[in-house]
Amino acid sequence: MGTPASTAGLQVKSKSRRKKSKANSFALLFILPSLVLYTLFVIVPTLGSVYLSFTSWDGISEEVRFIGLANFAEIWQSPRVHNALKNTLILTVSLVLLENIAAIAMALMVDRVRWFKNLFRSLFYFPTLLSGVVMGFVWAMILNYNFGVFNQILNAVGLGAWAIDWLGNPDYAMVSIILSTVWKGAGYYMIIYLAGLQGIPAELSEAANIDGASGWQQFRFITFPLLAGSLTVCMVLSTISALKIFDQIAVMTDGGPGFATETLTYIIYKVGFGELRQGFGTALALVLFVLILIVTVIQVQILRKREVRY
Amino acid sequence: MIKPKTKGWFAVTLAASLLLSACGSSPGDTQATSGAASSDEGGEKVSFTLGYASGDPAARKAISDTVQRFMDENPNIEIKDISDNSASSYLDWLKTKDAVGEFPDLVEMRDTEVFADAGKIVELPSDLLELFESPPEVEGKVWNAPLALNVPQGIIYSKKAYADAGVTDLPKTYDEFLAVQEKLKASGISPLVVGGKDIFHMGFWVNKFLIDDVYAQDPDWNSKKTAKEVAFADENVVQAMTDFKFLFQNYVDKGWLSTPDNQTASILVSGKAAQLFSGTWMFSQIEEADPNFEYGFYAVPDREGHVNIIGLPSPAGWTLSAEAAKDPAKTDAIKSFIRYFFEPEQYSLYLASLNGIPSTKEKVEYEASPAMQSALDLMNDPDVTKSLAINNWWGDNLIPPQFRNWFYKKLQEMVVGDGDVADYMKQIDTEYDAQVKANSM
Repeated sequence: MGTPASTAGLQVKSKSRRKKSKANSFALLFILPSLVLYTLFVIVPTLGSVYLSFTSWDGISEEVRFIGLANFAEIWQSPRVHNALKNTLILTVSLVLLENIAAIAMALMVDRVRWFKNLFRSLFYFPTLLSGVVMGFVWAMILNYNFGVFNQILNAVGLGAWAIDWLGNPDYAMVSIILSTVWKGAGYYMIIYLAGLQGIPAELSEAANIDGASGWQQFRFITFPLLAGSLTVCMVLSTISALKIFDQIAVMTDGGPGFATETLTYIIYKVGFGELRQGFGTALALVLFVLILIVTVIQVQILRKREVRY
Repeated sequence: MIKPKTKGWFAVTLAASLLLSACGSSPGDTQATSGAASSDEGGEKVSFTLGYASGDPAARKAISDTVQRFMDENPNIEIKDISDNSASSYLDWLKTKDAVGEFPDLVEMRDTEVFADAGKIVELPSDLLELFESPPEVEGKVWNAPLALNVPQGIIYSKKAYADAGVTDLPKTYDEFLAVQEKLKASGISPLVVGGKDIFHMGFWVNKFLIDDVYAQDPDWNSKKTAKEVAFADENVVQAMTDFKFLFQNYVDKGWLSTPDNQTASILVSGKAAQLFSGTWMFSQIEEADPNFEYGFYAVPDREGHVNIIGLPSPAGWTLSAEAAKDPAKTDAIKSFIRYFFEPEQYSLYLASLNGIPSTKEKVEYEASPAMQSALDLMNDPDVTKSLAINNWWGDNLIPPQFRNWFYKKLQEMVVGDGDVADYMKQIDTEYDAQVKANSM
């Protein structure tokens, strides 16, 4: 049996639970419209596509034939898919590292520069406003072997021997895509890092200055650990975005030369639409979905552990 | 002997020169056209969508001009041109349009059998058949109103570059052709420009060698490959691809993999490269890029001196979608447009824009350059073997629809990676067989 005090406590608890539940219902009401739309246009088609991955549907005919796990067996054995997976991983690791390094460097610069702060911020952020397709066209023109500005500059300054086919040479096509994507994407992550930097208490830097810490030591032991929250967000976002890269490849190289820049998302499109193998393409899309899920979960787990709270 | 360019006006009776019978326009044709137009005048507005491979700027302009004229003359019919000239592969674009429910009502169909099997298109209305001289049939059915007959592909060369390199006679064998390439290279010019960024352009050369070593001897090779009676690893195909690889590694302009088809004319006229291997549709692009550029055209002979070219008819052209065919008003409007498109005064403008060969029974005339006359001579020469590209055959000779692009890309990889041809052909056999198997599931 409860004492009067504990009964009063229970009443308070129950009141607060009711309040919470009411607040939850209210919140649910707000997210309901988007939840319904998301379910209708994302969840339902996604679940529907699971069935297609077990079929040999060509994407245009009425006939949808069930073929069991044949598509997945082909994915497992296909050298083309293995090559696309390898390219995807190279692209993802390179992009995540370079975009985040560039973004942190730009954020530090914009945070510390005394003059033209807004100008630099705008300049660095501007490329993110371009769509991947527009960016792809622009860089494809710049890097064009015959008429591109880049090779023309090299020729003009006497470095004609360095003027190569940047997008047609398998050794440089991937590098060209990576660098142009970093140019486009780093500004977006810079904004997140900048917000993180501006949230670091100034006293910490002042104390480090008094203690005689160098600029690098301040970054290494104060700034970088305190940017962990921003780092988690940026790493996860840049990983997902890199795993799904499509526009730049479609416009700049069409997955070539040969299959040198063909990634998983690109092969999904090519086989699904161009090669009339919607069933196989859907199976590949499912594999990519699982891959993104696994990578993201692992990444979040690791990065969360090193986040510092103050 | 190469003569200086003497451009003149050739009133070319193309259909007649191709031994096609020239029939006068029947009164029925005219009545059908004007009848459809007049019936529309008082009626409700009919609208249909139009999609075509619009990569060639001249052909694109010719079609869009025809569409505009048709709409001006038929105010009750609206044609919505949904073509996209930025798509790198027409099939990709068409399939994407289908996936989003925007398959064109009237479509330039190239993969006829695939879309016919899928029930996406219908047979050409029987009353339109009279317009054409023996349109190709797939399993006894005519699906397309052929925009033009297949034209030969060959070397379009700069007469100045040949003269500068001391080339006075056109090659009569493939070895002589290679000797010409050596002379051009020695003169300091890049011998060949290839628009390899567009996968179809690279296919011109691939098919030249395949036709010489494979299809000229055996037009049913594709069906035998599907039945595993022949292989890419066979000696003749390996020889064809060895020649292809040698040519590309030694005489093709360095930037070929990032050069799109629409830059090749500029590169040729700018003097950066001496030759381009393409079809007659490039003549107008070249003349537009530099009206004073002097060029010639010839087919590349094989090692024995035989000339084999693309020139057989294939099932492609304007095709009605199954969806549009359900709507009688739309079908009538589309039929009116097709009749209008193939009227000699309209059709000649289209043909002139891409130096095409008419597919109609009715006589069509337009100005042709000496280079076009060379192409017509090839088509008329009974000693020249006419064939088709690997993906243009049909029936039992139809290859898996996904194979062509993969094959060309694999060949790109082989050339840039200096891969072993025999080894690559074995890989290609494996993939072809896998695709046949996948399609049969």
